This record gives sequence, structure tokens and C-alpha cells, in this order.
Amino acid sequence: MTDLFLVLHGLAIKKHGTAEEVASLMGLAVETVKAALDEAVAGGRVAEAQGKYMLTPVGRIGLESQYAQVFSSLRADATFRGHYDRFETINRDLKQLITDWQTMPVGGKLVPNDHSDKAYDDKIIDRLGTFHDSAELVLKGLAGGLARLAIYLSKLTAALEKAEDGDIAWVSDAKTESYHTVWFELHEDLLRIMGTERDE
Amino acid sequence: MDKRDGKWTVRIDGTSLPSRDLIGGKAWSIAHMSAHALPVPPAFVLTTEACRAYRDLGELPGGLADEVAEGIAWLQAETGRLFGPQTAPKKGLFGRKKPESGPLLVSVRSGAPISMPGMMDTVLNLGMNTQTEDLLAAESGDAAFARDTHRRFYELYAGIVLKAIGLTLDPADTPDKWQAAIAAATGARVPDDPGDQLEAAIKAVFDSWNSRRAKRYRAHHHISDDLGTAVVIQAMVFGNLDAQSGTGVLFSRNPLTGAREPYGEYLPRAQGEDVVSGKFTPQPLDTLNQSLPAVYRALLDAATTLETENKDVQDIEFTVQKGTLYLLQSRAAKRAPEAAVEIAVDMVDEGMIDEATALQRVTSDQVRVLLRPRLKAGATEGAEVLAKGEGACQGIGVGTVVTDTDEAEARAERGEDVILARPTTSPEDVHGMIAAKAIVTEKGGSTSHAAVVSRALGLPCIVGCGEGRILALQGRDVTVDGGEGAVYAGALPVTVPRESDDPTLTKLIAWAQARSPIRIDRPGQSEPADIIDLDRTPGGEDPAQLPALLAGKTSAKGGALASDEGVRAAIGAGVKAIYIDPVLPALLAALHMDHPDPDKDTLATDAQG
Repeated sequence: MTDLFLVLHGLAIKKHGTAEEVASLMGLAVETVKAALDEAVAGGRVAEAQGKYMLTPVGRIGLESQYAQVFSSLRADATFRGHYDRFETINRDLKQLITDWQTMPVGGKLVPNDHSDKAYDDKIIDRLGTFHDSAELVLKGLAGGLARLAIYLSKLTAALEKAEDGDIAWVSDAKTESYHTVWFELHEDLLRIMGTERDE
Repeated sequence: MDKRDGKWTVRIDGTSLPSRDLIGGKAWSIAHMSAHALPVPPAFVLTTEACRAYRDLGELPGGLADEVAEGIAWLQAETGRLFGPQTAPKKGLFGRKKPESGPLLVSVRSGAPISMPGMMDTVLNLGMNTQTEDLLAAESGDAAFARDTHRRFYELYAGIVLKAIGLTLDPADTPDKWQAAIAAATGARVPDDPGDQLEAAIKAVFDSWNSRRAKRYRAHHHISDDLGTAVVIQAMVFGNLDAQSGTGVLFSRNPLTGAREPYGEYLPRAQGEDVVSGKFTPQPLDTLNQSLPAVYRALLDAATTLETENKDVQDIEFTVQKGTLYLLQSRAAKRAPEAAVEIAVDMVDEGMIDEATALQRVTSDQVRVLLRPRLKAGATEGAEVLAKGEGACQGIGVGTVVTDTDEAEARAERGEDVILARPTTSPEDVHGMIAAKAIVTEKGGSTSHAAVVSRALGLPCIVGCGEGRILALQGRDVTVDGGEGAVYAGALPVTVPRESDDPTLTKLIAWAQARSPIRIDRPGQSEPADIIDLDRTPGGEDPAQLPALLAGKTSAKGGALASDEGVRAAIGAGVKAIYIDPVLPALLAALHMDHPDPDKDTLATDAQG
């Protein structure tokens, strides 16, 4: 697994990412990422705009052609696959939880949660914390097979703790590294590692 | 009888109201309802003192086991039911009611004096084992229900007490297979003896006081680690035992419209989870009035008592067990924005709350929803429906359909209104979603990525329009109605409601203007000459720059002041007047600055589920 491969993989997950964001996600030094990005831009595999980078179509195809080979041993590892299967199982719980966070039942109808009911929100953040206890075990298992995945656990924990401390944007805000954002990036990473497709 | 005759336990029987510190918030609520002669399932509590003793000793304190057994015996006497076939009470000792053959199942829940994250979730139907299942099947005449109750108990016990991860038990399997699955996942089995089940659940509650999250929360909020949690043990009640049983929900007013009339649903011969499962079609409350008029009257009386006590609309879950009404939970009702506004103003007119309280009950976001653009009346008549799906986020979006995420972003940057249509979305698409006026997908439901992200962004969204549908939409001008789940051909006429046209909003505006810490008016109404217009000031759209730009100014206008942050920045900078349309969201943001969380500590219980 070369640094260049990791940087392109990181960009596939953090599309329109900065060098710093890719470095933090992939566990690489910022200088390493910058050097790899310069090389990729020169080779036409990455495009840069205002300090943000994205894969070009050529870069994307090139990256995807490498997955089967780079991740062949992880894909064949029954223990890792077991942890991945558990991830997919609890992923359903997380999706339901986030939906419950964004909507609330009112008189038998679902309406958008306007966060005017603190007790309702607190209950869901508490559920998210309980969920996180399970997620922690699954993520530790996954990181046992691929150490860099541990970064997701610290990002998820950080988002959860901010939400627990009352900053509720950290549950599902789409523009920050909220719990939901990080979880989806992790899911995207795992789908690419395992070579499976998202079902919806 | 002295309520603390036990050293570690307190019975909730309506005759006294022990302190919240001793019995925790949940038991306190049950006791409070009980003291108002409202019917709640009987319960007893292990006090926070028992929690402290457990923590200090590392084991349950001496005498506690005997007191729990006495508490269970009391629940048996109160309900006329038996906890586990082997623990029949001695004849004549507790006999107010003659025990029937029905089994007593209990719920076990944590209850700290202050609610906090990380505490143990509730275990329901504790007491279940193979013999209990047989007894429940015989009593209800419904073996499938008894088996399902068994399964749900195992799932909760395995997840909460044995800490199994993501374990679900196949409803088609037998209890033996469930036990094997639990043993494989956790290395332990669910005890058969109800007493052993209860002891393990009690320890799990006490242990959860020292969970990582609970400890962190207490440290962050400066709450003492010595407070401790209580354990509430309450009789389960069943709504499916006979024709005189059922379950339902009652709102003291309509939570969708705010109309002052009871609103709710009733399911004869059903359990609470049946309401959620969709297995049964709920019936109007009048069904209950027809079949059990006395229960119906008692329920409406209870709703009146609770609404009067709490001075807010109540959402009450109830169960009727063999003709006896039990209130399981009552809390301030969640309500749609229309209802929030109507109810707040009505309650002032009725003299139930004052104007300041009414203003606390309506949020700026709720008013923004009411004032959101909507389709003109009759706009969809004759309009061609290009696609239909599940409405995942309400709102109207008008624009040109683009199916490529990068293209959507690029065209939006050029000032075009675009609708992003994708087979599905993933994190790669978020930048294009942010740029779009609405999202449409072919696959997925209300929990899909597209649904979740568009709700987070407040974007109209329709999911699950069917595979292959978006190709036909590409390049067309459409109107997306996220509430109806319909994509219409062409740009349909859209109207923006005006707050001054609405008599209810007008009242709230007058009350709010009388109390606002800052003058808030519509633009053009006697604006001073030295006003700063943020729309014409470099950086005026950036919330982070507002404090600097507004410093020293006496009045301001501009789009940045439409958000809560903008209003707070103006007040923080000492601005005396802002000019914005609509005014009510800004007024509410100004009023709520000092009281972000209205105190919702109410007379309520959370007795089951």
C-alpha cells in the first residue's frame, strides 16, 4: 500500500478534501500527502481548486482498479469480515437512529424534528451513546485488521462527546465531521476495502 | 405502614411523596401521579442509598435481597398475579386480592435524581421463562403473543444486562435456540429463575451509574458521583388479555392542528408494540367510548388533570387490562409548528399560561417553517407528475434536473437553480446536494443517505422514485414537493405566507415586541439614517464577522440578521434596532437568548417502554 494509493483512497472518501483532511483520515503526515497530491495533480489523476482536491475520472478508475489486489488479504480474512458484517448489522441501527433524530412522531405522523423538545433530543443522544459502545467494539475489531481505521473511532467519540455536551449539530450535520458524517465516511471506506456496493 | 420500613426500598402507593434525591426522577414522577389519584401500575424502588452502599461494598448490601422479595410480594398482592410459578405468596399474608393464575412480569429501569446519558436502558417483561410463557399463553389465549413476549425479553436482557452487540433473535426459532444464540454472542445465558434475572438487572442498573458516559457527563456538569441511581421495579400490564383490554394514545389537544379536543387512537385487545408495528389498524378513541365508557371518561378526566397540573398539552400512553385503566406515560406532547403556535396563544386566552410562557413555547424555527414558501392553492391541478416517491424532507424546490453531482455544483455556482437527481447518494455527493434546491433519488427509503443528509441540510427531498426514473427527468425544469413526494413538470407558482396576514402570529408579534431586548421591525419602518446594511457591507454574510461589523452601530438590516446567530450577534454588539422581514423568528431568537431550554420538568411518568 503506497502513500499515493492511500492519498487517492482518502480523496475518494473525502471528496473535495484538503491535504490536511486527507492526512488526518489516512493517518499520514501532511507533507507526505502534499507531495503525493502534487505528483497526482502532475499526472492528471487529481484536480486542485482553491486548496481542495478531487479525483479526476482517470484517477478514480485507476484507484478502483487497484482495490481487489491491495485489499485481497483483508477480503480473505475471516476475522476481519466478521467485524465488517457486524458493522453492516449495526449500520442499520445507526441509520434508524439518525432518522429518529431528524424526525419525530407527532400524533401518529412523522414531522421534522425542530429540536424544540430537549427531552426527546437527550433520549436520542443517549441512544447514540449506547450505540457508540457497540460501535467501539466493532471498530476496535476492524482496527485490529487495519490499524488506520482507529482514526474513525476517535472522530466518532469526539463528535459524540460534543453532542453530549449540548452542541447538537454534531449528531448529523452534513457540513461538519458530525457523527453521521464520520460514520458514512467509514462506511464508504469499508465498502471500498471489501469491494461491496451500498444498498441505498 | 411506614414507607421506609425497608432500609433500602420504598413502595409507590400514593400515600406519600418521598424526595427525588432518594427515589430518582422516574419513581418520583410515578409517585406524583399516584398522589393525584391517577391510575399507574404499582411499583417499588430501590433507593439511591442502596446504590451508594452497593458501590462502597462492591456487592448488594445485606437485607436488600429480602426487601426485594417483599416488594415483589407486594406487587403480587396489588396485581393478583404471581412472579414466577415457584414464588407463590404464603396464604393470607398479602391477600388483598385473590391471586389469579396470570404471571407477574416487571419492568426494571434506572432512575437517577437528574437524568443523564449512559444509564441502563429499561428491561421489560422480566420474569419470563418457559413456564411463564405457558401461563401467559393460557391466560391470553394467544400462544404467539406469549412466545413473542419471551423473545423480546431475551433480546432486551441480552443487549442490556449481558451487553450483546447488535443481537437479534429470529422470531421463528425456539427459546432454546435463542439461548444458544445469546450464549454464542455473550458467553452467558439468560437465567431461568425470575429472582436471578431480577438480581442481575438490579446490579446492571447500579453498575451503569459508573459507565464511561455517565461519569463523563457528571464531570462535565459538576454533578456529584455520590448522588447514585435508584432502580424502579414496576408491574407490567397487558392490553391483549381479553375483550376488556386494549392499548392506546391520547393527546389532550390535537398535536397536528392545535384544536382543543382530545385526539388519539385505541387498539382493542393489543399491546403497545402493536401500535408501532403496523400489524393492526388503530381505531378512533370513540371505539373505547363505545366498548368501555367508564374507562373512557376516566381517561379524559386524567388528561384534564394532567394538562391542568402541567399547564401544557399532554401525550398520554395508556393500557386497559381486563377493564382497568393504567396510565403508562404522560409528557408534554411534541407538536407540529401549526399546533405549537395555536396552542400557545389559546392557552393564554384560556388563562392557563401567561404571554411570556407562550413565547417560550414557540421556537424561531417553527415560525420559519410556517412561513416557508409553498405551492399556490390549486397549483398542482392539471400539472403533470413526472415521478413519485417517498417524501423524505418537506419543502418546495424549483429548478432544472441535473444527474451529475459535480455538474450540479458547477451550475449552481453560476447562479442556476438545480435539482440533483441520483440513483442513490453517498458522501461523495454531499457537495452537490448542498448546492441543489432539492434532491430526488431512485432507490432507498426514509433512512437512506439522501433522506438523512437532506433533512440535515433542510432541503426538499424525495427518495425511492423507482429504478431508471431519473433519466427521463434529466434537463427538465421541475417542481419538487418534498411533503407530497411528487415531482411536477415545469415551475409551478409558489407563494410565501406573510406573518402579518395571520391573526395568531400577529398576537405573538405584539407580545414579543413588548418584551424584546432589542427593537425588531420590518424594513422601511422609520429606519434611521445611520443604519448599517449588511447586504451592502463586505463580509456581511459571514456570521463570524458580524460582531466586528456591528460593533458601535445603533441599527442594522440585511439577510444575515434573519438567523438566530445574526440576532444574537446584534444584541451582543449592543445594536438597538434591527430591520428584518419576517420579524417573529428574529423576535423569538432575541427572547430565547437567555432561556434556551424551557424547563420541561413535568408531572409525568414513564412507566413502561
